[in-house]
Amino acid sequence: MKNLAFHIAGLSFVLAACHDNPKVEPGSQPYQFEVPANFPAPLENRENPMTKEGIALGRLLFYDVRLSGNNKISCASCHEPKLAFSDGKALGNAGVSGTTLHRHAPALINLAWAGNGLFWDGGSTNLESQAFGPLTAADEMHQDLFELVDELNAVPDYVTRFKVAFNEKITSQSVVKALAQFQRSLVSASSRYDKYRRNEPGGNLSPQELIGWQLVQEKCQGCHAGELFTDHDYHNNGIDADFSNDALEGIFQGRFRVTYKTADIGRFKTPTLRNIALTAPYMHDGRFESLEDVLDHYSEEIKTSPTLDLKLPEKGLKLKEEEKKAIITFLKTLTDQEFITNPEFSRP
Amino acid sequence: MKRIFIFALAAFIFSSCDSNDDASDVAPVTNSKTSITFDARVGSADFALNKDFTIGSRTYNFSKLRYWVSNVTLVDAKGAEYLVPNSYYLMEEVGDLNLSGTIADKLTYPARKRETIEVEDIPAGEYKSIKFSIGVDARHNDNLSLADGELTIANGMSNIAWMWHTSYIFTSVGGTVKEGTTGGDFTAETGLNANYKTVSLDFTTPVNFATTKGVVLNLDVTRIVDGIDLIKTPKVNAAQATIMSALANNYGTKALSFSAISK
Ligand code: HEC
Ligand code: HEC
Repeated sequence: MKNLAFHIAGLSFVLAACHDNPKVEPGSQPYQFEVPANFPAPLENRENPMTKEGIALGRLLFYDVRLSGNNKISCASCHEPKLAFSDGKALGNAGVSGTTLHRHAPALINLAWAGNGLFWDGGSTNLESQAFGPLTAADEMHQDLFELVDELNAVPDYVTRFKVAFNEKITSQSVVKALAQFQRSLVSASSRYDKYRRNEPGGNLSPQELIGWQLVQEKCQGCHAGELFTDHDYHNNGIDADFSNDALEGIFQGRFRVTYKTADIGRFKTPTLRNIALTAPYMHDGRFESLEDVLDHYSEEIKTSPTLDLKLPEKGLKLKEEEKKAIITFLKTLTDQEFITNPEFSRP
Repeated sequence: MKRIFIFALAAFIFSSCDSNDDASDVAPVTNSKTSITFDARVGSADFALNKDFTIGSRTYNFSKLRYWVSNVTLVDAKGAEYLVPNSYYLMEEVGDLNLSGTIADKLTYPARKRETIEVEDIPAGEYKSIKFSIGVDARHNDNLSLADGELTIANGMSNIAWMWHTSYIFTSVGGTVKEGTTGGDFTAETGLNANYKTVSLDFTTPVNFATTKGVVLNLDVTRIVDGIDLIKTPKVNAAQATIMSALANNYGTKALSFSAISK
């Protein structure tokens, strides 16, 4: 048996600390969160104020394989920056157990605005609580949280960084706080579309792209709403007709597994359309390989069920071929090269 | 390697915080301390693990009784409230719990009986009632990184299962229930913000904590299971929303009562 006292002291799972105060820890510098001019205000975040040191620490952790049980996988294994922090696979198997996951890894974009639940069904309320999911899940990082703290404590640089960022010893709680701060800093707002919206240099949209934008506003932005291109709400967008399979604690039933309200059967969270050209394949199980497939779905293949969203006609949107093309051309203007190459976000 | 938990740290919990100023609107004169006991009962009998109890027509044998008590507040004769800072306590009676595979590969939570909490720095005065909640308030329930009081994800009273309600389990009672030849194991749990219940109990006479040792409250398990058919529904959790809310209501409205002042 290892030194027990060390574990207890290092973990301080039980030890209380007062975090009522939104002030940042002494010695750390507050981070100026810049809200893009065309964006709404982000969520108020009093519990875990962002600091330069907290974000930098979160970035190190996000890419660190020490966070996994076999020391081979990091968050970035399934959330790669060049794919706007998605993994390019329908259902990944990069986890420690090597088993195929049941859900597609979503892109991590503009999470500082994601205030209505995380995961495809909203099963987690915030980035702090969420991180415990992948950290401990056997099919993901399968980490023992005691060993995690031990392993991080063995790195003097981490000990110093946790002290500066959180003024405390390394705990699993401060690990998830740092990860959350880094993820909140992942703002994508420099696409050609954004430059167009803000009248910035390079912000030109072609006539076809403008037609596509018009169509997206009419047909898609009821759900993929506003400048974030998501309403952060849950809808049944008609990709399935039958949600009776309640296997795996209801994983195929969408939001229902969280609320147990029949109205939520088959509802999944609206993903953002930002960087959509980078984040194929699409939907909660990655069933569509291309944007063409997605448009064919909305146009002709809508499946009817009691919870199908009223914004989608039962027979589909019946888009003309040139309309589909225009929409896809517009969606590509949402690709943000600065986001995926930002040195502040990349592997340290 | 096997890891075991130690509770000695609980003693430090109050030392790091001094949020009394805003938590209290009673002027402190000389502060006193007291103990508050949540005495688990099965009707008139003392609650015990691994022992048969008859409730109605059924025989129960319990293996655990665990619940979070939070935001303990003492109310004085004028109605002013003293909120005990950082008051998040896990009350429980439980045998060795195997928590392997939750947050650690191998983890044993040792058998424990905990019915009493110690409260310090109570502003002088005459108190007429006590308020507290069963469960964890939304702010803390929604954010597992806020480690106030005894809150932790390391004791099996939270749910961090992949992609499912990352939040605390508010209450958990388990064991076996039998009626004649039917019945078997049961686990009845509550959770979710809507099921956070606040209980307010009046003392029979005003209490001055400078001259009393403590307050005893009763938690009657017969009332926890009242109206809940644990043979028909042996697993109560978020998937049985209606039954779970009935169970939470039992904790909130009838299971707890004021018992006595200990001098
Ligand atoms: C083995 C692959 C894998 C690893 C490793 C992984 N994730 Fe994920 N992540 C996923 C999948 C799959 C989902 C979607 C699950 C769902 O919604 O049911 C997801 C969802 C998320 C979400 C929710 C995003 C949203 O918009 O709802 C966040 C945030 C996230 N992961 C962060 C992390 C962090 C932080 C780490 C490292 C601690 C991590 N992930 C490690 C696969 C992974
Ligand atoms: C009724 C609401 C609604 C409307 C209208 C809607 N969507 Fe969606 N969209 C969703 C939801 C919900 C999902 C996720 C569904 C799932 O994964 O099960 C989604 C997923 C997508 C995805 C996949 C995103 C990803 O990251 O996997 C794309 C692309 C998409 N929609 C494009 C569009 C386009 C283009 C339109 C208009 C032609 C449109 N949507 C109209 C609700 C809607």
